[in-house]
Amino acid sequence: MATEIKTAPRRRSSALRRLLRGAQLELRMLALLALLSLGLSLISPYFFTLSNILNLMDQSVITGIVSIGQTFVILIAGIDLSVGSLTGATGIILGLSLASLPLPLAILAALVAGGFAGFVNGFIITKGRVAAFIVTLGMMSVGRSMAYVLSGANSISQLPESLGDLASSTVFGIPTNFVVLVVLYIAAWYYLTFTKGGRTIYAIGSNAEAARTAGLAVDFYSILVYVISGALSAVAAVFLAARILSIDPIAATGLELDTIAAVVIGGASLFGGRGTIIGTFIGVLIMVLIRNGLNLLNVNPYWQGTAIGSIIVAAVLLERFLSAREGLRRAGDEG
Amino acid sequence: MAEQGEAGSGTLLALEAREVWKAFERTQALSGVSFALRPGEIHALVGANGAGKSTFSRIVSGHLPADRGEIRLFGAPARFASAREAISAGVTMVMQETSLAPDLSVLENIYLPEFGAAGRLSWRGLAARAGELLDQFGQRGHLPLGHPLRDLPASQRQMVEILKALALDAKVIIFDEPTASFSPNEVDRLFDVMRLLAQRGKALVFVSHRLEEIFEITDRITVFREGRVVADASPTAEMRPAELVRLMVGREIADIYARGVAGRGAQASGTPVLEVEHLASAPRVKDVSFSVAAGEILGLAGLVGAGRSEAVEALFGLRRIERGDIRLGGKPYRPRAPIDAVRAGVGFIPEDRRRQGLVQDFTVRENLLLAHLGRKRGFGLGYDEQRPAMERLLDELGLSPRILDDGILTLSGGMQQKVVLARWILLSPRLLILDEPTRGVDIGTRSTIYAMIRRLAQQGMAVLLVSSDFEEVIGVSDRIVVMSDGADVTSIPSRLVDVEKLAMFAAPRSSAEATHIVVEELVRRFGGVAYWIFLEGERLYCFDAVAAPGAPELGFARGSFPEIGEARIPETLRQRPQRFFAEREGASLLVPLRGHRGHDLGYVGLTLPAGGDLPDADAVRRIVLAGPAAAAPAPAAAGGR
Repeated sequence: MATEIKTAPRRRSSALRRLLRGAQLELRMLALLALLSLGLSLISPYFFTLSNILNLMDQSVITGIVSIGQTFVILIAGIDLSVGSLTGATGIILGLSLASLPLPLAILAALVAGGFAGFVNGFIITKGRVAAFIVTLGMMSVGRSMAYVLSGANSISQLPESLGDLASSTVFGIPTNFVVLVVLYIAAWYYLTFTKGGRTIYAIGSNAEAARTAGLAVDFYSILVYVISGALSAVAAVFLAARILSIDPIAATGLELDTIAAVVIGGASLFGGRGTIIGTFIGVLIMVLIRNGLNLLNVNPYWQGTAIGSIIVAAVLLERFLSAREGLRRAGDEG
Repeated sequence: MAEQGEAGSGTLLALEAREVWKAFERTQALSGVSFALRPGEIHALVGANGAGKSTFSRIVSGHLPADRGEIRLFGAPARFASAREAISAGVTMVMQETSLAPDLSVLENIYLPEFGAAGRLSWRGLAARAGELLDQFGQRGHLPLGHPLRDLPASQRQMVEILKALALDAKVIIFDEPTASFSPNEVDRLFDVMRLLAQRGKALVFVSHRLEEIFEITDRITVFREGRVVADASPTAEMRPAELVRLMVGREIADIYARGVAGRGAQASGTPVLEVEHLASAPRVKDVSFSVAAGEILGLAGLVGAGRSEAVEALFGLRRIERGDIRLGGKPYRPRAPIDAVRAGVGFIPEDRRRQGLVQDFTVRENLLLAHLGRKRGFGLGYDEQRPAMERLLDELGLSPRILDDGILTLSGGMQQKVVLARWILLSPRLLILDEPTRGVDIGTRSTIYAMIRRLAQQGMAVLLVSSDFEEVIGVSDRIVVMSDGADVTSIPSRLVDVEKLAMFAAPRSSAEATHIVVEELVRRFGGVAYWIFLEGERLYCFDAVAAPGAPELGFARGSFPEIGEARIPETLRQRPQRFFAEREGASLLVPLRGHRGHDLGYVGLTLPAGGDLPDADAVRRIVLAGPAAAAPAPAAAGGR
């Protein structure tokens, strides 16, 4: 085992080097996050209060969970527009199931429904070679329509208290739902970094043709990311319903845009292969912080859309600019 | 020619670059390069990968700005801010199908730059001008103006690029690796056009890795090494190939194929690893049979479009296999996806490194372990268990372990290819398929790759090498299977062939059509058996043969290469008489065949049953020399050269 002793230090230093080089964008975004927090705490005395911080945590849960699935999908150069309506539809399925099933089974039913819808997305995109944008746009419409059909266009309220515990309980003083969010992020980070499946997802996004030629299971993982995305939409639906013990068929409308924005702000490339789950987490926090700040500053809610939209476009512009510079450098390296 | 003589006296250079410097973030790509190009010359720009020749070409053609330096065009200072500016000044770089719109027609592509001009476009005017342009370069009839570009083969698309440059009145044309995907015939055609361009006073820069092409076409050679000029415009006629290689890589490589006699005997145990019978995979692969033994390097030669790449891709599960009986290690083998092939012990180095080989966003390490990841079952990565083997292999390939965490795109093309090769060696497959493994790779790396392939074969691996570089196939493989039009034509030990004979075996039906029509015509008129053969010493190579029912058995057929003594008409073959010559099997006549540049293409022969009436020898000769035009109604496929 002499080799291990010899190589260990070198590996650590190179890992650090790699981390610093690879995490440049995350570090930039983290700095932006810190700057935003600092600015907001200076402007609003309310910002750094415990209740606002708990509020921020609570607000990041739904977008945060769904953004994990969106990251997986965007990493393979796909896109999932159906997550918002699937959150709504699986929420209705959860509410209806709770009338006759115990809580764990009802949650399972919602998860299976979400996963199945994701499978349909992934299967048609991968095997039918239809653009992800089109297929998930269709699913977005179907999902919302199912939510109305199943609920009879009425919200389902007075859900059991046991569901509410998910939102109101705490672990060491931290809201349970936020703890779950963090655990999910750690699991996703581990999966994407240290497993065959995770690396395959990156390889597909970077060059699917080369991944296939190297014997990687391109089709399997291309479908899997949509299944994960659909199932996580259902997880989000559970926490959404738990918050107010009721679920509405129009719930989570527009969530797909928030998640795509979070992923892109987090540094992922819409062309696939680039992006990290940590970046997405920072992206989610930035999104939530901006919304929170706009509320604290009493900005007219009608103007908030303009602010958020501008930030998304600015983030993508930045990514374009940086990757164009990268491309120029790469082109030069070959000369 | 008059204006060429004037300019050739050196008074006015078409293009002159002085002290050009260029640095990219960490690397100094060009360190004070100077270059002088005369009108009417074809000037080779040579160098190993990373020598700076692409960077220089891109600066001259306005794709990249220089850090420092002066560029003059016909004596006037020029500083192009964009490729567009360079083009309007008369400097064009012809790249491989990068600036073309595949959905537009050939005509529209040629005149695409005019679409931006104000005023109305006259289609009829454009078509007339295009026709003139085609006539000037003997391309009328080769390029269908109204066709969408998408349908054309790569060589014709490149011709469109050239015509597009000419339509803009280009005076300096830079050809960057123009022949990389061309067959020998297509190269010939391109060279004809290049010579015409030079005669008309255009100044041409030819960037290429292929030495034999450089010596064939260029007038002078400038060699770059590590961003400096090491040979400044030396006349090609005075340069020896070995000297050029030494200038490029800085050391002498006597024989890059390094085929030792000892290395050859030790291998080929004879146990077949892969046996392929009647493989078909639409649309290109129709009927291919061959086998590769353990320790053997089998070359799969043929022209572009012969279906070689498609055949090996089918064998690796990248294309659907429609028919065929395939066995790997004696067991039935029919991969449906690459993963099946990988798990069965087959490795594959694809033709297009960028598209099929590299994961651009990954580090060298992850690219190296990509096939390992594909083969591995289970959840984890298993990278660590591969580390000792990986480090040993990097050492063998002359790569430093320090590059492992660098991005794959920071490496030169040659090093990238070594990584792709190492990826498969790591899995120690029993069959390794290499599709064009040295395309766009410099000579130094090529010799490393050849040495590696040879060592793998000596260790008992079966190697299947696909290459359109005939010298490479002959130099590296033990045996060669020639493919043409989706079928195998012959299987021949590489020591028995040279480039010319391989090219004749490989000729696709469209260009061998002329001879084939003649051979068929002879049988139709006179019966018996007609054939196209090549004679060298005591050996006969048969490229084509057609027999009428009941014709004499000659002891050779299409694709065979017996010794003359084994054929049934040995005396005819030895004496090659001018008249019909009777032997026991029948009476035969051989008519010598000459190519359009006068080179020896062997003989067309006719053998008629013994004892029958013999036609007039001159009548036969006339049919052969008249070619296909005089024979049966010839379809448009005949080459027309």
